[in-house]
Amino acid sequence: MSTVQIRGRFDTPTFAEDDEDVVVIVGSGPGGGTLAHELCERGIRCVVLEAGPHLTAEDYVQDEWEAFNQMAWLDPRTTSGSFRLAKDFPNLPAWTVKAVGGTATHWAGATPRFKAHEFQTATRYGAIDGATLLDWPIGLEDLEPYYDRAEEKMGVTHVGGRPPLPANNNFKVMGNGAKELGYRHIATGPYATNSAPFDGRPATVQDGFNFQGDKQEAKWSPLVSELPKAVRTGNLDLRAGCHVVQITHDARGRADGVLYLDEEGGLHKQRGRAVCVAGNAIETARLLLLSDSPLFPDGLANSSGQVGRNYMRHLTASVYGRFDREVKMWRGETMAGVVADESRHDTDRGFAGGYYMQLISLGVPFLAAFVEPGGWGPDFTATMDAYSSTAGMWLVGEDMPQADNRVTLNQGMTDAHGLPVPHVHFDDHPNDVAMREHGWTQGTKLYEAVGATNVHRTPPYPSTHNLGTCRMSARPEDGVVNEWGRAHDVPNLFVSDGSQFTTGAAANPTLTIVALGIRQAEHIAAEIGRGAL
Amino acid sequence: MATTPSTPVATTLTSPASRELLKDVARAMFPHPSFPDAPYERAVGTILEAAEADVRLRAQLEQGLRDVDVVGGSPFAELDDAARLAVLRRIEGTAFFEHVRTRLVTGLYDQKPVWDLLGYEGSCPDGNGYLGRGFDDLDWLPEPQIVDPHRDEIVR
Ligand SMILES: Cc1cc2nc3c(=O)[nH]c(=O)nc-3n(C[C@H](O)[C@H](O)[C@H](O)COP(=O)(O)OP(=O)(O)OC[C@H]3O[C@@H](n4cnc5c(N)ncnc54)[C@H](O)[C@@H]3O)c2cc1C
Repeated sequence: MSTVQIRGRFDTPTFAEDDEDVVVIVGSGPGGGTLAHELCERGIRCVVLEAGPHLTAEDYVQDEWEAFNQMAWLDPRTTSGSFRLAKDFPNLPAWTVKAVGGTATHWAGATPRFKAHEFQTATRYGAIDGATLLDWPIGLEDLEPYYDRAEEKMGVTHVGGRPPLPANNNFKVMGNGAKELGYRHIATGPYATNSAPFDGRPATVQDGFNFQGDKQEAKWSPLVSELPKAVRTGNLDLRAGCHVVQITHDARGRADGVLYLDEEGGLHKQRGRAVCVAGNAIETARLLLLSDSPLFPDGLANSSGQVGRNYMRHLTASVYGRFDREVKMWRGETMAGVVADESRHDTDRGFAGGYYMQLISLGVPFLAAFVEPGGWGPDFTATMDAYSSTAGMWLVGEDMPQADNRVTLNQGMTDAHGLPVPHVHFDDHPNDVAMREHGWTQGTKLYEAVGATNVHRTPPYPSTHNLGTCRMSARPEDGVVNEWGRAHDVPNLFVSDGSQFTTGAAANPTLTIVALGIRQAEHIAAEIGRGAL
Repeated sequence: MATTPSTPVATTLTSPASRELLKDVARAMFPHPSFPDAPYERAVGTILEAAEADVRLRAQLEQGLRDVDVVGGSPFAELDDAARLAVLRRIEGTAFFEHVRTRLVTGLYDQKPVWDLLGYEGSCPDGNGYLGRGFDDLDWLPEPQIVDPHRDEIVR
C-alpha cells in the first residue's frame, strides 16, 4: 500500500450525478472510507457522501465538551428499554461522529481480533433464552488474511515489526493490578496509533486527547489514511455536508442511486451501479427503513423483517480506582492498555462470551458527566476531589443479540431535515447483566490489589460500538446481508459497517469493520469485473 | 377578552439575592470545601444566562428558589450544611432539581480554574504532549511487563 503525505484538507474531482458507473458510498468512516480506498485502488470510481463537515487536525480542539460539540452526531434520537442509558442519556444513546473520517476521528485505537468461537456463537454457546444467536456465514479463517492487511493498513502495534506503545501512568496501575490478580495477558495494544513513525505519520506524543480528534495524526483514521490515499488515485469524489435521505431503486428492485441533501438543503440524486451503506448501525438501519417504497413497503432489503433488529452495543462499563498517590491518568494514550484474560468463553463464570479490560481516562469535564450519571452530593464530589489520584478501566464485552433490541423510525419526531428520527430500544439481557457484574467485581479486585482506597463502578457511556442492525446470515430469512455484506433482497446494495455483524464478539469492532471492508471491496471489484454489478 | 398587562412580570431571578441563593444551592449540591466561591458563581451565572432564553427553566427557577427557602423550615441561607443537604434530598428528582443539577455538572466542571483546583492539566501547555513530560512518571509501582498479546493466544 502506498505511503502519502497529503495532510490537511484535500479536494477531489466531481463526477456527474447521472454517471451510472460510480459506486455510491454513504459515510466516510472506517467502513465507507476503507471500501472507497480499496475500490479506488482497483480503478473503480466512487462517490462518497458524508453528512458531516470536512474538518482536519487544525480544526480539532483539545477540550472535551468543545470537541464533542464540534464533531459528535447530535441530531436527535430517542430511546426506551431497561438499559440505563434510556434514563441517563435518553436523547444520546450513542456517541458517534458526524464528520469526514467518521467516528474514527474520535476513536482510541484498540484493535483486538475476533476469536474463532465468536463467529459460531449459536453452535458454541448453545441456546440462550431470549438471545437470537446465529453463526456467522464466515469464520475466522476467512477473515484472517484480511485482518493481516487491516493491521498493516492501520499500523497496529505489536505486529508487522511495530513496537508496543510504552506504558503510561494509568497502565502502570492496571498492569500491576492485573499481575497481582494472576492475569497473564497484559499489554499496551494491539493499538492503531503509531508507536514509531509509520506510513508518513509521526509517533504519538502522548497528548491524551484521543477522543477529541488527533492533532498529531499519529492515530489511524480514514481522514489521514484511506481517504487521502484514495484521492491520489483520481477515482474518489468525496462530498462533505451531504446527507443521504433515501436509496432509490428501479422497476426490477435494483438500487439505482440515492437522494441526498447538500449543505444548503438542496435535494440531489446521485446515480450509481451499486450503493454501499456505512452510516454506523443506527443510521444505516434508519436509512434502509427510510427507503421504503411500494416495492419494499417495510424498508429496503427488509423482507426478513430483520432491518434494525439485533442491535448490539457491547457490554461496556467502567471501573475507577482511587489511590492515595497520584496517577495522572490523563497523560498519554487514552486507551493504550488491555488485559485479555477474561475475553475467553468460559461459562463457569456464569455467563457466555467474554470481555476485555481496557485502559480509559476521562478529563474532569467528562468524568463529572459520566462517572455517576445523576450523581451529586458529598460522595460525588469526593470522587471528583480524588481526580488526580484516580486510575480508570473500561470493560468491553460481547452482549447478546435480541430481536427486540432494535432501531425503528420515531414517526412522532423529526430532525432538522424533517426526517423521522431513529428510536433505539434496548433491554439488557441477563447474560449482559451477569457479565457486567463480573467485570465490575474483577476490576475492583484488580485495583484493590495495588492499594485502591475506593473503587467506583461506572455504568455504560453512550454507545461507541453500534452493531448488528443489518446482520449477515447464510439464509435470507435470518438476516439482511450475505457473507459479503450484500443485501439478500437487493443484489447491488451493500452494508459496509458494523451493522453487518451477526454477533458482536468481545473485541472493539473497528479492525473487523476494516477487514470486512477490504474483503467486500475485492468481492465488488470481482463482480464488476465479471459484469455482474 | 382581557388585554395583556403592558409590563411583563418583574423577574426576581436577576436580583443579587436569587444569585446568592442559587450559589448556596450549587455549593450544597456539589460541595467542594477547597473551592472558593468564584467557580460556583460562574456556574450560576451560566444557568441564569440560559434562563433568559429558556422560559421553562426561568419558570422552574422562579418557583424552585422560593421552595428551597421553605422546605427546610427556615431560609436556606440560615441552614447548616447537613440541613441544606437534607433539603436537597427532599427535592431530588423534581424538575427544578434536575434543571439545576444537569447544568451544574457541566457548568462547574468545565472551567479551567476548577481543573487547576483538581489537578487536571488538560492539554499540555505547548500542545506537544506529555512524551518526555511525565506521561510515565508514576513511580510508586514497578514497571509493568508488556506481554505480546499475540503469543499464547486465549482461544477458548
Ligand atoms: C470515543 C470513542 C472511542 C472509540 N474507541 C474505539 C477503539 O479503541 N477501538 C475500536 O475498535 N473502536 C472504537 N470506537 C468505535 C469506532 O469509532 C467505530 O467502530 C467506527 O468508527 C465505526 O466505523 P463506521 O464506518 O462503521 O461508522 P462511523 O465511523 O460512525 O462513520 C459513519 C459516517 O457516516 C456518516 N453518515 C451517517 N448517516 C449518513 C447519511 N444518511 N448520509 C451521509 N452520511 C451519513 C456519519 O456522519 C459518519 O461520518 C470508538 C468510538 C468512540 C466514540
